Amino acid sequence: MNRKTLIAAVLGLALLAAAPLLTSNPYYVHMIGTIMIYAILLYGLDIVVGYTGQVSLGHSGLFGVGSYTAGVLFLKLGAPLWLIIPASIVVTAGFGALLALPALRVTGPYLAMVTLAFGTIIQILINEMTFLTEGPLGIKIPKPSIAGHKLSEHEFYWLTFALMVLSLVVVHRILKSQLGRAFEALRGSPVASDCMGVSVYRYKVYAFVISAGFAGLAGCLYAYSEQYISPNTYNFELTVLFLLAVIMGGRKTRSGALLGAAIIVILPKLLDDLEMFRVVASGLAVLMFIGAVVGIAKKMTTPKAMAIPVVGTIALAGFSFWLQSITDWRLSIFGLMILFVVYYLQDGIVGFARSLFARKSNADTRIASVSGKDAVMVAAHAGAGETGTDLLVATGVLMQFGGLKAINQVDLRIKRGTIHGLIGPNGSGKSTMMNVLTGIYVPTAGSIEFAGSSVVGRTSSDIALSGIARTFQNVQLFGEMTALQNIQVGLHHTFNSNFVDVSLHTPRFNREESAATERGLGLLDFVGLGDLAFEEARNLPYGKQRLLEIARALALDTQLLLLDEPAAGLTAPDIKELVAIIRKIRDHGITVILIEHHMDVVMQLCDTVSVLDFGQKIAEGKPAEVQANEKVIEAYLGGTVA
Amino acid sequence: MLSIKNLEAGYGKVQVLHGISMEVPKGKVVTLIGSNGAGKTTTMRAVSGMIKPTSGEISLHGKRVDGLESYAIAKQGLAHSPEGRRVFATMTVTDNLILGAFPRLTGSRPKGDVPGDLERAMDLFPRLKERRNQLAGTLSGGEQQMLAMARAVMLNPEIVLLDEPSMGLAPILVEEVFRIIGDLKARGVTMLLVEQFAAAALKVADYGYVLENGRISVHGEASKLRDDPAVKAAYLGGGH
Amino acid sequence: MEILLQLIYSGVALGMIYAVIAFGYQLTFQTSDTLNFGQGDALMLGAMVGLTLVNMGVNYWLMLPLVIVFGLLQGGFVERIGVRPAIKIKSEFGWIMSTIALGIIFKNVAENIWGRDDLKFPSPLPESPIKLFGANILPMEILVVVGAVLMMLAVEFFNRKTIYGKAVVATFNDRDAAKLMGINTGLVITFSYALSSATAGFAGALIAPLTLTGATMGSVLGLKAFAVAIIGGLTSGMGIIVGGIILGVAETTTGFYISTGYKDVPGLVLLLLVLAFKPAGLFGKSAIKKV
Repeated sequence: MNRKTLIAAVLGLALLAAAPLLTSNPYYVHMIGTIMIYAILLYGLDIVVGYTGQVSLGHSGLFGVGSYTAGVLFLKLGAPLWLIIPASIVVTAGFGALLALPALRVTGPYLAMVTLAFGTIIQILINEMTFLTEGPLGIKIPKPSIAGHKLSEHEFYWLTFALMVLSLVVVHRILKSQLGRAFEALRGSPVASDCMGVSVYRYKVYAFVISAGFAGLAGCLYAYSEQYISPNTYNFELTVLFLLAVIMGGRKTRSGALLGAAIIVILPKLLDDLEMFRVVASGLAVLMFIGAVVGIAKKMTTPKAMAIPVVGTIALAGFSFWLQSITDWRLSIFGLMILFVVYYLQDGIVGFARSLFARKSNADTRIASVSGKDAVMVAAHAGAGETGTDLLVATGVLMQFGGLKAINQVDLRIKRGTIHGLIGPNGSGKSTMMNVLTGIYVPTAGSIEFAGSSVVGRTSSDIALSGIARTFQNVQLFGEMTALQNIQVGLHHTFNSNFVDVSLHTPRFNREESAATERGLGLLDFVGLGDLAFEEARNLPYGKQRLLEIARALALDTQLLLLDEPAAGLTAPDIKELVAIIRKIRDHGITVILIEHHMDVVMQLCDTVSVLDFGQKIAEGKPAEVQANEKVIEAYLGGTVA
Repeated sequence: MLSIKNLEAGYGKVQVLHGISMEVPKGKVVTLIGSNGAGKTTTMRAVSGMIKPTSGEISLHGKRVDGLESYAIAKQGLAHSPEGRRVFATMTVTDNLILGAFPRLTGSRPKGDVPGDLERAMDLFPRLKERRNQLAGTLSGGEQQMLAMARAVMLNPEIVLLDEPSMGLAPILVEEVFRIIGDLKARGVTMLLVEQFAAAALKVADYGYVLENGRISVHGEASKLRDDPAVKAAYLGGGH
Repeated sequence: MEILLQLIYSGVALGMIYAVIAFGYQLTFQTSDTLNFGQGDALMLGAMVGLTLVNMGVNYWLMLPLVIVFGLLQGGFVERIGVRPAIKIKSEFGWIMSTIALGIIFKNVAENIWGRDDLKFPSPLPESPIKLFGANILPMEILVVVGAVLMMLAVEFFNRKTIYGKAVVATFNDRDAAKLMGINTGLVITFSYALSSATAGFAGALIAPLTLTGATMGSVLGLKAFAVAIIGGLTSGMGIIVGGIILGVAETTTGFYISTGYKDVPGLVLLLLVLAFKPAGLFGKSAIKKV
């Protein structure tokens, strides 16, 4: 984070800390306290929603677990503060792990439903288990005491503030570390994550557990803040409010979480005051109308696109004058806000503001990168062996889908230090072979030995970590991350730092992080993308994206690199660059399997070529031999049919 | 009948076709051949509306169709038997064929005699006749290809687009498929045939275009193209 | 034993309602890979609109088709406003949040129009139970089962016998290929949402006399119906009927033998278990990943 942002952040926080001194009204102090408590939860929720990109409808349940852990420990055991806070965090984190179990194998709407079911079950359990939770009667909790001294409102405020800042720092550090990159990778491309050694299951669990921990802390503080908790607080509406806060404030930002928290706390109060609402709604309608007119005049948008927002806001203003009271319509207002944000403000308010003031982000300090040679050499060192020996031996591989034999008794012997081409007409089984070698499919029969140990039945993530890396036919980059960050995900395996190291920025973490940055830049230089290190991957031209994918694969200390149609869709100059880079890779001692349709590329690069047709190997040998082989010509041109 | 001028198209950032031009005259069979990745299927998809071209013109009977939705183009009389067959797996053979005539049954095209055409289609494709009440998903690859072609013919179309009919089929079935294409040709059906297997395609077609890396590298009468070394080079490299 | 049989009867009736809602989930998911998180609220609106009509003097049997029409409109509205824009920008997050948002709005509107309290829905059939195999069953419960089955049969008939129905099934099977047949798949999707809400609304009007009718009746029902849809595999019609009955009976027995407060738990736990161990559902087929 640069100078200006840091100063602004410190000033903002100082103001927040000073709030109890600036206002004498305890109502406002309590309100700001609640905003901070919600912010703690939202920092955690952002990990799941903003980073891994999943919808969680269960966080009000986790919030409830935190509150009730505090409440029950106080009520039944009279436990002190220093025990209750960690207990709330740990218990809720445990529930987060429990939630992650059914959530592991599902995604999208299924995941949302799982979390919703979970949250609903928790609310029911809190309500029904009266022997523990007092059920609908609720639990009264006084302000906590530290060392015998009972905290005043102001003192509790500062405790909340301190914990909020602590959470802010911890979350920020997590998200900027290899953990944060792993979370984002999950959203970008789950398949690529697994193939880069970042196990989707594992990191999904981490994301839920960590966000649950924060929800637990928030819940605990909430219990003390309100001094009374009851089951019906932790309902579906609250969970929707949390989601609204994250998406309206702006995902992937801390300030967005704070802003979102402020919105959902202040808004209901605002909506209680009808006069105020009428003013705001009218003002909004006028602003929207002016904005639309200006936008259309400047040709930034069309009347059709503006029609709905303009009519909508005018209707809302009109409606507000017709109403007697707005309180009952709160939920509809929230619903409308969600619709608005989902379609018009996808990056939230903070995201929108940032895009308005967008500056080209550049490297503040040009860190010296490891030389290209060293970056890749580090990789090749891992697999010391003589050129020409067998690296991968596949025998009798059979891959059957129902009645279809996609790969039918194929033998393949890949020699170390060579570029081995795999060609064949469409549907011949090349990509299937690739998927079998990287663990995406488990072969129906046959053996595959890589550097002496079997590959069959191991997970993609495991196989990736043992030295087999790949690129994809349809580029699977982590679009929203920079080129450097994409490579750093590939370097995930070099990190031994855990959650504690990351939070505290221990020497071990700092060392690993800068090593990863150096090596990442080195790899980028190796493929010629050095000066695009800080560009978002999705903004790179197509040819460069392909090269980036290769660089990322190399980060895995690769011994065997599988390239799946790397030249597809490339222009002639790009292809030339690609060929040179593949040669460089081979010269560094890395073995390559190349699936390609561009025959020129295959002929130039490959030492050996195997030809597949209808799932079987029909020819193998040097490129020129294969090119002249009758059976191969027939397979491609369909000679027998003529 | 079908006219393509300077067509450019692709997927997202990848531009696959770099300005190709072709003509398919009425009553003729034109084939587009080339190795995988050259852009053959992309061309078909652009013509039938499955993807939108980035530039260029596509006209059917002189009327522009580029940029229209595929269901609108189908209503104009263009039938597309897509790559991979794409039959409706949970429906019977008969239902699949009836759906081929959807625009005729719902007023978008002249109705004609749908039940009669259904029987005639069955006669043309005897394997389908035997399996008329079988679920399409349980048919073999070759039978599904027949079904996809018959379904296209049920539209009573002006032109039929056949996308890689031989893909994934055993050689003996490929023979049968091409025999049927020959039959259709004998009945005067206008066809645009995209094929990976150049030899078979050039045998049945009147005219051929060779696609290489998104551009037409050579074109001419099918009989002359068969012996042209440029064709072999387009598939197996080494030549230019 | 008698009580158990009674619980089973009620469970089956309840289960059929779940099946009907689940049917709606299947419908939209098959045509568009999306579903309506506010499906439960569509059921609630059907019940509330039905109540208003009946209180205005409209005969119950006449009210049912009117509720269906209302449902068609409401479903179409949800698709237009909430789902179509999200499909266009290819945002899964988008339609999930918008259908949730629309559900919340509908519920809030219902609360304001009909109040927050639960209301009594007059039963069109006599309220005294009949004896069937020695246990009691309410005539209304029989109506629910019959109505649900009839409705699903009607949709099946539509799908198999009419050309438009076949067009819908074609869209389930392969959207792109359906478009090549001249089928306007956008309209098919709108129609599937309309039908999905119509069936939910119809189910609401059927079950209203049996339970308390109020603005909140839809929420948990929608979630549990999702469980049923998942168990059925989101592609199997038979599966949801079986799943619905299993769930319905599990609930009525839990409610009686353990406590009414816990009656919602089996369904939710079942959902979590199925998704944890067999995400494709007990009856569904798992898809092969293609990279």
